[in-house]
Amino acid sequence: MKAVIAENLTKIYPSGKKAVIDTSFTLEQGEVFGFLGPNGAGKTTVVKLLNGILTPTEGICRVFDTDPAANPVEVRQFSGVVTEHAQMYGDMSGLQNLIFYGTAFGLSAAESKTRGIDLLEKLELTHAENRKLDTYSTGMRQRLSLARAMIHRPKILFLDEPTSGLDPESVQSVNNMIKNLAEKEGTTIFLCTHQLRYAQEICSSYGLIANGDLLAAGDLAKLRALIFSGLIVSIKSDRCPKDIAFTKTGEMDYEIKVDSEAEIPAIIKRIVNEEGNIYNVAARRLSLEEIYFGLLDKRNAEECSGKGAKND
Amino acid sequence: MINSKQIALIKKDIRAVTTNKRLFSVLLIVPLVMTVFIPSIFIIIAGVVPLDSNDFQSLIATFNLEDMLDGDLREMLIKIVLNELLPLFFMMIPVMSASIMAASSFIGEKEKRTLETLLYCPLSLRQIFDAKIIASFLISQLVSLISVAAMFLVVQLEVFIILGVLIPVEISWLILLLLVSPALALTTITIIVRGSAKAKSVEESQQRSVFMVIPIVLLIVMQASGLQILSVWLLFALGVICALVGFVLLKRASANFHYESLLL
Repeated sequence: MKAVIAENLTKIYPSGKKAVIDTSFTLEQGEVFGFLGPNGAGKTTVVKLLNGILTPTEGICRVFDTDPAANPVEVRQFSGVVTEHAQMYGDMSGLQNLIFYGTAFGLSAAESKTRGIDLLEKLELTHAENRKLDTYSTGMRQRLSLARAMIHRPKILFLDEPTSGLDPESVQSVNNMIKNLAEKEGTTIFLCTHQLRYAQEICSSYGLIANGDLLAAGDLAKLRALIFSGLIVSIKSDRCPKDIAFTKTGEMDYEIKVDSEAEIPAIIKRIVNEEGNIYNVAARRLSLEEIYFGLLDKRNAEECSGKGAKND
Repeated sequence: MINSKQIALIKKDIRAVTTNKRLFSVLLIVPLVMTVFIPSIFIIIAGVVPLDSNDFQSLIATFNLEDMLDGDLREMLIKIVLNELLPLFFMMIPVMSASIMAASSFIGEKEKRTLETLLYCPLSLRQIFDAKIIASFLISQLVSLISVAAMFLVVQLEVFIILGVLIPVEISWLILLLLVSPALALTTITIIVRGSAKAKSVEESQQRSVFMVIPIVLLIVMQASGLQILSVWLLFALGVICALVGFVLLKRASANFHYESLLL
């Protein structure tokens, strides 16, 4: 069973704003899916559509074979959500909050307490379990929100910017927790973020969205193939053979695109044979950030050519 | 039927008020002024002030007691205040407490951005709506009950100290407690809730309770000016009408609630 299926999902708000346009993607169970795009791209709207808070204007979505628009309560029973706007009660302690949300998800008060204490320990909040939430720092609140979303052991976790406001150490502990949840407990993670480098660290597949429009979805290899699946060889040298296609990025820095590692020795030999001095050689594949901006440029170019053709 | 998740929400809402000393004291102080402080002034005037004083004569004139001079006038006057004037003051209590509680429960969640978190819980909008109405209703009835208990205790004690007797309580108080107070609370809650989607703050929302307060103030003025309109039947009719209006408004309010109207 697929964890999430979205087919031609479109959401237009009553104000006329098109938040999500004709979006289709699927998620496997246990996958860590990074839903990436800048603020206002439509990520949170998709989370709300998948949890039945919003109903799609067009298209359908299924979460573990359940339609959130028709059965929102059923979907929420097995999903956990952390969003920037979903706050908890400031006049209650961290543990009291977790006990309340546990009981609101159908656990008994005793079960909620045990689970809450366990989660607070995992998220390094035990020292503050009896302190009122009003006294928590932003990072502590964010970690408590994660604990709240996990209180009922959800099958799928929707995390909207889960590491915003966290210090590097906390980011690391949250990342480890997300990876463990996916690998050991088979929890599906739907992670929305605008931090592409962060997403590349922990996600196994991606959906790239801009202005409500899904640019592409799939694993890194699939996304790279849309732009360039080969290697970029960065060479620091005082000379570069003229018949090789390169991009000069600095006084002695060149970037050469190759299809495979096998092509690199020949390029190095050429430089050496032409009596060039090589100071550094590094090969890398396109980063998620480069893929995103590459796809965005491609989409803009397509739109421009589409407009041009119309004008002609 | 209320499920365990709704009970959790009801308990949370009630605890939020009872553990918030500032909010709970606001909820209790005004009702206690109305049911303990004001009646005490009446009793002191009726029990201590000389019969021929101007204050006393004006009270006698207000309540048309000129013909009752052969009975114990002081006792009669206190009886009238207790059974015919105070019930109207008492009507303000469920309205006030219900409006404070409903505004804090519905709009307060929106204001503190906890509503969205609640919407991600496995409860339908209708179930959240019902749970919050029940919590507001229970708190308003608790405040009413505390107020009326405090009133009877203090008033009877004062009367006993001053006159050495206890004042018999009329059936109108039973109708008030069992019918009028719940009906007023229900109607007030639904009025507040209906406006909750549009209201931006708790204070703005509470202002809607004025629709309930004004008719009660008019009743108090009419009664205090000597019209003596209050009767058991009138109270009963008022309670039934109010309960019907409350139920109709409640049905319509819950049907008009959508996630998008609450969050957008």
